[in-house]
Amino acid sequence: MELEDLTSLFEKAHFIRAFEGALAAAADAGEVPGLVHLSNGAEILELAVASVLDPKKDQVTGSHRSHGIALSLGVDPQALACEILGREGGLSRGLGGTQHLIAPESGFLGSNGIVGGQVPLALGAALSAKTLETGGIAVSYFGDGAANQGAVMESLNLAVVLKLPILFVCENNGFGQSTASSYSAGGTSLLGRARAFGLAADHVDGTDPVESTKTAERLVSWVRTSGSPAFLEASVPRLSGHYHGDEEKYRAADSRAPSSQTADPLQRLEAMILNRDVPSGLVEDMKHRAHERACAVIDKAIAAPDVSDTALDAYIKEAQ
Amino acid sequence: MTRMSISEALNRAHHHIMAADDRTLVIGEDIRGGSGVDGGLELGGVFGVTSGLAAKFGEGRVIDTPISETAFVGMATGAAMTGLKPIVEVMFCDFMGVCFDQIMNQAAKARFLSNGRFDLPLTIRTTMGAGDGSGAMHSQSTFGMLASVAGLTVVCPSTPADAAGLLKSAVEAKGPTVIMEHKGLYGVAEDVPDELPSVPLGKGRLMREGTDLTVVAVSAFVHKAVEAADTLAAEGISVEIIDPRTIKPLDEALILASVKKTGRLLVAAEDAAFGGFSDQLTAFVARSAFSSLKAAPVSVTPPDVPVPYGRRAEAVWLPGVDEILSAARTLASA
Repeated sequence: MELEDLTSLFEKAHFIRAFEGALAAAADAGEVPGLVHLSNGAEILELAVASVLDPKKDQVTGSHRSHGIALSLGVDPQALACEILGREGGLSRGLGGTQHLIAPESGFLGSNGIVGGQVPLALGAALSAKTLETGGIAVSYFGDGAANQGAVMESLNLAVVLKLPILFVCENNGFGQSTASSYSAGGTSLLGRARAFGLAADHVDGTDPVESTKTAERLVSWVRTSGSPAFLEASVPRLSGHYHGDEEKYRAADSRAPSSQTADPLQRLEAMILNRDVPSGLVEDMKHRAHERACAVIDKAIAAPDVSDTALDAYIKEAQ
Repeated sequence: MTRMSISEALNRAHHHIMAADDRTLVIGEDIRGGSGVDGGLELGGVFGVTSGLAAKFGEGRVIDTPISETAFVGMATGAAMTGLKPIVEVMFCDFMGVCFDQIMNQAAKARFLSNGRFDLPLTIRTTMGAGDGSGAMHSQSTFGMLASVAGLTVVCPSTPADAAGLLKSAVEAKGPTVIMEHKGLYGVAEDVPDELPSVPLGKGRLMREGTDLTVVAVSAFVHKAVEAADTLAAEGISVEIIDPRTIKPLDEALILASVKKTGRLLVAAEDAAFGGFSDQLTAFVARSAFSSLKAAPVSVTPPDVPVPYGRRAEAVWLPGVDEILSAARTLASA
C-alpha cells in the first residue's frame, strides 16, 4: 500500500478508536443510557471492507458491536453519537440507540440487538439489489458467537439457494460474551462450515491492513460481478470487554483487554508507517487530531438535549 | 360480480397486485411448488392461493424457499426496508414459532427504530384454525398473541371480498401486516366485484343489526355467529354482529357504539382463552362502556388447552354454533 493509503487508513482508524474512547468516558460519566459494545480491534478490517463498498447502492447490516462499522461507512459521527447517547439529533432521534443504529443513506441498514438477527435482513437488501438491478450488494457482519445461531446458518444456505449478492463477514474475536468460540463451536472451522453450504469462503488476519484490503476487494468484487454470495472470516482481537465496563474476570489476568495491546491492529499499522520515510511527529499529530475531533463530537452529543417529550407522539397516535 | 371462494379471491388479488407493481413479490415454501423437480406442475401453495403466479410473473418474483422461515421472513423484511413490497407466506401460523425473532424484533420494530425514515411494506400471509384434524402444531390461531406485539397490524378476513381487499391494503401499508386466513374458510364463496376493491385496515363491519346483544366474532366464528343469530331471532333475541376484520388496530368506535346500544357483549373467537383478543376486547369494553353494560361480557373461546387431534376431542375443544347459542341466551336474560 502507498504511504498515503496507510496514513488515510490510520487517521480513520484512530478516529474510530478515539470515538469509542470518548464514548466510554461519556458512559463512565453517566451520559449513555445503556451499555455500549465497543469496536476496538476491528477498525482496520471494517475500514478495509468499507473501502471497497459503494454506500449509494450497497447496504450493510451489523451486530450489537457496530459503532466502527457505521463510522467506516461514513455515517455522520455527530448523528451517530447523539443516537448512542439517546439525544435529539440522533439518527433516529435517540429512539433506537446503540444496538439499533440505522443509516441506509450511508449504506448502513442497521445494527441489531439480537445476535444473528441482522443476517437475514441483509439477504433482503441483496434480494432488492438483485430484483431492482441496482448493481449493489449486501454485506452482513456477525461474530463467531452468532455463527452458531440458526438464523445465520439458514441465511448462509438461502443465499446460495437463491444466488444472492451478499458478503458474509464473520468477525472472529474468539468470544461470545464470556464464552470462548472454541467451546461453542462443534467444528471449529468456520470456513469449513461456510464451504459446506456452497459458499466461496476465505480467511484473513483482520489486523493486517494490506491483506484485509486485498481480500475484501477480491471477495466484494467477486460478489458484485458474479451475483453470488461469499463468506469472509476475519480474525480480529476484542481489545475491550464484551461491553464497556466488563471486567473480564473470566479471562486470565494477563490476557485481559488492557494488556493485550500487542495484538492491536492500530499499533501494527503505526509500525508500518514509521517504517517508511515519514516526518517526525506525523503519527502523533494524526492521533492528536483524531482524538480532538472525536472528543468534540462526543462533547457536542453530551450537550444535546435528551430525546424530547414529543418524540413518541406520532407513534402513540398511530397506535390508537 | 363473480362468485368466488376465499382462496380464489386471494389468488386473483395476488394477480392484480403483482401486475400493478413490479416491486411486489411472493416468497415462501412451496408457493410455486415443485422447484427442482422435473416434469410436474406448479403446486401454487398448499392451499392453491399462489397458483399460476410463477407462470405469469416468473420465478424471480415468485420465490420458493427452503424450509427456513427465519431466513426468508427476515429476507422479506430486509427487502421491504430496501424498496420491495414482499408478500411472504408462512404456511401455518404455528410455524411462526421458529421465526418469531424476525417477526417480533425485526419486522415489527424496524419502522420505529428508523424513526419513520423508511416504511416497511411487508405482508405476511399465514393460515390458522382447528377443525380439520391437523393437530396441535398445525391448528392454532395466534392473532391475539401477534396483536400484542407493538408495530404489527393483524387482520383476520372472513369473506372472499375482505380477504382480497385486505391483502391489497396490506401491500400498500407503511408497516408490516399479518393476514391470518382460516383454513376452514378457503372454500367459502360469495359474489365479489371483479375489481376486488381494497378494504381499509382498521375498519370493522356491521354484519347484522340487532338490539339485544352485540356479538363480536372473528374469522370462522363470523359464520357461526350469523347462523346462531338466525336461530336466536326466531326466539325473539335480536343479535347485532360485528366482524372487526382487523384485530389491530381495532375498530373500537364501531364496537363501542354497538355495545352502548345493546348493553351486552359476547366475543366469539377461535382465540387464546387467556390473554388473547377476547380478553383484550372485554377489558376495553369494561373500561370504556362500563356504565352502558347491562350484564358482564361473555367470551366463547376454546379452552386453555392445546388443539387435540382425535375427531371427538377436537369437536369438544372447538366451540360452535351451539356454544354461541347457549352463551347468547344466558347473556340476553342476564
